[in-house]
Amino acid sequence: MNTTTVETDGKKLLLDYVMPSQVRMFKTLADIVEGAITDRPDIAFSTTICLEELITNTIEHGLCNAPDHSIRVRIVRGPDSLEISVKDDAPAFDPFHDAPLPDLNADVETRAVGGLGLHIVRTLMDEAWASYDGTGNLITLKKNFR
Amino acid sequence: MNFDYTLQIVDGLKQLHLSGRLDSATSMALEKTINTLFESKQDRALIDFSGLSYISSAGLRLILVAAKRARQCGGRLILCGLAPTVRDVFEISGFLKIMETADSQEAAVALLQAA
Repeated sequence: MNTTTVETDGKKLLLDYVMPSQVRMFKTLADIVEGAITDRPDIAFSTTICLEELITNTIEHGLCNAPDHSIRVRIVRGPDSLEISVKDDAPAFDPFHDAPLPDLNADVETRAVGGLGLHIVRTLMDEAWASYDGTGNLITLKKNFR
Repeated sequence: MNFDYTLQIVDGLKQLHLSGRLDSATSMALEKTINTLFESKQDRALIDFSGLSYISSAGLRLILVAAKRARQCGGRLILCGLAPTVRDVFEISGFLKIMETADSQEAAVALLQAA
């Protein structure tokens, strides 16, 4: 684990963590996020669930469940918001572009199983976008303090 | 604690108690058991979330599968004891509109026994 604290331009690095592409690491990741955002357990919870949804997506769809890749998670705190980023080395894909929206008004029989992860991310975060820099995908989330 | 569950059958009611974190890694352990909740016509079951501190879409998927199976067999499923953060995830997902909930296990049992 790499955690450092650097302050620049009123921003503070709360977390810089490189994890293997394995879903068994989510409990560890959750503990680390909780330890990095101690004063806002609600935001720590939102951050944890969004990271899990995005990283699960990366592992299953971007990396075809290959366990030997690395995923880097960074959390930077600004005066009014948190910026969360996830960087992988998977082929280019934008999870927000083609993701189907769940039908929240469907009844139990017709409600599709799945498609909820990105909906949760879009709902809990204020901004979410993805880009590809030639070496991997960078997903960035912004959560405003309220 | 990572994740644990127990399944009890009391007076014909299946009671599934969840504790810890239900995430992408741990939900696989629960899948088989979830599928046993509704095997016969008009089966009745509760899922007690009071020990659960975290759920992601991987766990929600299992709960939706249970609700679908309950509906298919003419049974009834009640979710109880949801902590506020877990309840928020259910709310965001629209599940509170399509699933029956109770504040406590006792309340869920009373509802299921009255049916």
